[in-house]
Amino acid sequence: MAMIHPGLPFIWALPIFIMMAVMAFRGLWPRGPETCQPRPKRHHSLPIFGQIVDSLASRSWSLVTLKMVVVGIFCLVIATGLYGNPIPDRNFATPITWTIWWTLVVISVFLIGSAWCAVCPWNTIAKWLIDHRLWKRNLNAGRLNIRVPRILRNLWPALLLLIGLTWLELGLGVTADPRATAILALFVVVLAVASMAVFERTAFCRYFCPVGRTLGAYSQLAPVELRPVDSDVCASCTTLDCYHGTDTIDACPTHLTMGRFAQNTYCVSCGACALSCPHKNVSWRMRPMAAEAQTDARPHWDEAWFFLGLLSLTSFHGVSMLLGWQGLMGEISEFCGGGNWSIVGFSVAMAATMIIPVIAYAGCVWLIKLLGRFDGKGFRHIFADLSFSLLPMAFAYHIAHNLNHFVRESDGLGNVILNPFGAGAEPLSLLEQKMRHMEMLLPEHMLFALQSGIMVWGVWMAVRVLGYRANDLFGPGTKSRGLALAPMVLLILGVTGFNTYLLMQDMIMRM
Amino acid sequence: MTRVALLCLIGFAHLAIGVAPATAHHILGRPAYNLNEDSNTPPSMQIETLIGEYMVTGMLYPAFPQPGEQGRVSFYIIGAEDSNPYEGNVIFKVRDDPWYAWLGIEGQEEILGTQRLDDSVYRQGFIFSESGAYIVSANFMDGETPYIIDFPVQVGPPSGIGPIGLTVGALAILLIGVNLVQRRRAMSGKIRTTRDTSER
Repeated sequence: MAMIHPGLPFIWALPIFIMMAVMAFRGLWPRGPETCQPRPKRHHSLPIFGQIVDSLASRSWSLVTLKMVVVGIFCLVIATGLYGNPIPDRNFATPITWTIWWTLVVISVFLIGSAWCAVCPWNTIAKWLIDHRLWKRNLNAGRLNIRVPRILRNLWPALLLLIGLTWLELGLGVTADPRATAILALFVVVLAVASMAVFERTAFCRYFCPVGRTLGAYSQLAPVELRPVDSDVCASCTTLDCYHGTDTIDACPTHLTMGRFAQNTYCVSCGACALSCPHKNVSWRMRPMAAEAQTDARPHWDEAWFFLGLLSLTSFHGVSMLLGWQGLMGEISEFCGGGNWSIVGFSVAMAATMIIPVIAYAGCVWLIKLLGRFDGKGFRHIFADLSFSLLPMAFAYHIAHNLNHFVRESDGLGNVILNPFGAGAEPLSLLEQKMRHMEMLLPEHMLFALQSGIMVWGVWMAVRVLGYRANDLFGPGTKSRGLALAPMVLLILGVTGFNTYLLMQDMIMRM
Repeated sequence: MTRVALLCLIGFAHLAIGVAPATAHHILGRPAYNLNEDSNTPPSMQIETLIGEYMVTGMLYPAFPQPGEQGRVSFYIIGAEDSNPYEGNVIFKVRDDPWYAWLGIEGQEEILGTQRLDDSVYRQGFIFSESGAYIVSANFMDGETPYIIDFPVQVGPPSGIGPIGLTVGALAILLIGVNLVQRRRAMSGKIRTTRDTSER
């Protein structure tokens, strides 16, 4: 019997609706271009935080220690998943992977950007296996250093893998199968090692990793960034150690040059640039949230599709946990005759659900192109440019949804930490299921407040990013931009409204 | 004095036995249907689940049967609300359960047998001739609603080549392959350099 999480009460959804009304007024009101430019602030100006980050970033051993801890936990996940108790609630692998890591890794972007990538066990194990060193660079490592084929040098592979991961998660139920969780983790290790052995640098992180690229995309909204302290120093630099590396420190794993670095999408926060720079000109710093999505990031066709994919997949997660969806899947399965046809039915339903936001967004862009006056900017350019406004909506709903899982399903984690293999443990009794359901990490009203707050932030930020992005499309002083942007504003309101509706529904507990 | 104490103890024990309900066929509070004349060991593989309107308890005996050894699964199906036993027929099926089954790739399903209710329990015997991981499923209908309960059965020792073996094998082949290609490249470079030097 599945436990049901109660949805967001109307009283907590009300602030979201009020903010939607305010942003509709703001977005549709005819006005000139956005003029306020974000001003990044160096982290040193913050007490304690700046010094801690500096201290960690300037010493290799601190990062290596963290990596070793994470790899240790990863190995425990593999061992418990393969050899532990097959009951998902009693095995360390499933709750630590899907309830803790998969939810917190997205939430962490809100505070520390793509910092997870710096300690990612997949890349760490691949590097250890190929370089035969814990952290120092090995110039004679066993790599073929072949350039990634042009057709793969974009975000399409990562998007396809992200869709595949969601299909495995929601369609095949990997989240409730410790063994499958471990096998999936091992499979990604093989992919990471193969990619590192064959292609130059870490092609897996840059082009293929669905987790890394998701964090990279979301980290455009993060309040931290790794950037040059003084751009003039980079402009006069002739050695480009950040790009080429040194004898002991790796080159940038994703081919980024600090002097021209303006977008977090491909940064894996490894800090190699900060270590290798002879001028000590690379540093972590704070910035206004979403500053990059508003102005700094350059639009790309493949990235726009990735953002759209994120929006579709996050909403699909919510849809798939509705009671109605479960009933629909049951009917489809019965109609198909059960067995392997059930998964075909799920796949078709998933594709149909995912395609709706694509059609809606493409329709909006087409309408904007009709309504506005753009000097030679085609459909693709507008499609890519405005897609940044989809990011805050996807991110906000992703966090709000994940918070629900994390706060309501983390009870019992202590038991799996104390008994990771689940030796002698039996399935949760109905009483235990109910107790877990009742015992939350945070008081329920606090969870609702957080969900409501993040959704309010999402719609506010989406309209704000849209306004800044419109600067790139409309000429200066254009008065009619409010009307021309109306389809996009309506889309933002529609998506936020739908996501809020999803949050308000009762949701089936995952484990 | 000792006699008085012994008598008191017997009296308390008698009272306690008189108060407690008769639970002769229950072990550790659970029905142990697989106990037979050969063994008094309770089954160590057991599932208990609430599915639809029924509470199902399934047991496997022995916990890890060997190839060629007689084994048995028992299912106890009662209504979740009224605790009345389900009385229709239950069809027992079996299929392979390979490690990649979560990808949706499953073996052909075979019917083990159809069982009727016998003393509130559905019992299905089996003999597996080969080692491996299998799924025994109990299938029954409640009106138009089908119910399927899967029960994993490991016959004999588990396969030596599992996901870890495959991963290590794949990584070894990959790394050795890359190493060989690199050596060949280095060798070609040396030959080319030597040829260039000798031509000069």
